[in-house]
Amino acid sequence: MTDPNVEAWTRANADYTDARAEEKWAQDEITWGIWDVPESRLGVLPDVADRDVVELGCGTAYFSAWLKKRGARRVVGVDPTPAQLETARRCNERFGLGLEFIEAFAEDVPLPDASFDFVHSEYGASIWADPKRWIPEAARLLRPGGDLVFLRNSTLAILCSPDEDLPTTEALQRPQFGMYRFQWPGEGVEYHLPHGEWIRLLRGNGFEIVDLIEIQAPAHAETHERYDYVTAEWGRKWPAEEIWSARKGA
Amino acid sequence: MQEPEYVPLNRASWTLANAEYTDRAAREEWGREEIVWGHWHLPERELGVLPDVSGKDVVELGCGTAYFGAWLKRAGARRVVGVDLTPAQLDTARRMDEEFGLGIELIEANAEDVPLPDESFDLVFSEYGASIWCDPALWIKEAARLLRPEGELVFMRGSTLRILCLPDEGPATDRLLIPQKGLYRIDWQEGDMAGSDFHPPTAEMFAILRENGFELLDFRELYAPDDAVDHEYYAQPTAEWARKWPAEEIWRLRLRSS
Repeated sequence: MTDPNVEAWTRANADYTDARAEEKWAQDEITWGIWDVPESRLGVLPDVADRDVVELGCGTAYFSAWLKKRGARRVVGVDPTPAQLETARRCNERFGLGLEFIEAFAEDVPLPDASFDFVHSEYGASIWADPKRWIPEAARLLRPGGDLVFLRNSTLAILCSPDEDLPTTEALQRPQFGMYRFQWPGEGVEYHLPHGEWIRLLRGNGFEIVDLIEIQAPAHAETHERYDYVTAEWGRKWPAEEIWSARKGA
Repeated sequence: MQEPEYVPLNRASWTLANAEYTDRAAREEWGREEIVWGHWHLPERELGVLPDVSGKDVVELGCGTAYFGAWLKRAGARRVVGVDLTPAQLDTARRMDEEFGLGIELIEANAEDVPLPDESFDLVFSEYGASIWCDPALWIKEAARLLRPEGELVFMRGSTLRILCLPDEGPATDRLLIPQKGLYRIDWQEGDMAGSDFHPPTAEMFAILRENGFELLDFRELYAPDDAVDHEYYAQPTAEWARKWPAEEIWRLRLRSS
């Protein structure tokens, strides 16, 4: 039996991410999320020059490519979906960036302890893996003082997402109490924790919270052609996405 | 520092609240044996969010009738100073302090500009005090100044979600009625009373704290227990709302040593 997330991302790769991968790899500027907010505006990434990076849930690995272009020494992309890794390998050959790829779930990564300086996830493990398992994995993979940065949907967007008939509304559709594991109709399994639980989970795994950015859609933003579960109008009033930055204790 | 224009308005609204409710509620609160949090009286023994206060010097910013300061003193704090800008609230606090004989010190001042020396406390505390009635850009800076290195800051405020769901009148709804974009200071009017409170969203509040040298240790979002009933005086949030969504939150931070 195929894992529901691997199934969903095999489909998504055929429908969309494969066709978009080369354009994303070619992009010179690092941007964040569905509104493509430039890193130059947010300034949330640590310096990656000469550092060893692992991306958990890399998909077609365009973010890994951007980090390699920024000077990272070694970049390893981990993803459980073979179809996305095939796309990533094709792009890697074409762009000649020398990324490494590993087929694995972020909850159980076949890489040694304390072998990376930076663990990254952008709509990867950050929503598709169980945080109670992948955050300890991130802590294990990092060297002391290493950085963890991840982007996820905001809790508010999840609270306002109807079970069916997207997009996100202005009404709270579900309680926050107890929110954790989600399976939307016809989709994979996602995990969404509220802020308080993220903070406790990160602290409990030896991380210091360095930054939290709630992303606002820019004035000129338009609703994303594919990821239309939240409109640009909603995203201008409320944060649809957020970035966490944490550092493992020395 | 000249008093910001919202300070006399907030003082007037707390003078009224003291006459209507907090003065008569003070004795029961001071007499309470255990430390409890917020509208639903969640026991500290279950939350475990406070640091050990024994032998510590504590200042409460926006202490009101100072019942929380009284609890911290009973929990072993060496010195407890309550700071508040409303004389009527401090009168109640002084009367209670005499009755209970706890030796709390009380100072009339705005928490944005506290007449106490640098690095003179181990814990700065606020429960619906400075935490919502004062400008965080000012009072967080004061908290950092008042603390000794590695001192802690603990405060409670309403949740951002509750603010976003507030109508012009009445308790929080299940709809987003206020944009989060630009959320910081909220000017309100109720009948002939007016005032301001402050509510930067989580990320902005965190940024202010970090810029003032604080490391985040804990952040709790509090829900109403199953058996909670609506508060007798504070109209919101309703227990029904607060069972589904967090109406209140507690922040715990530590001042970095360098």
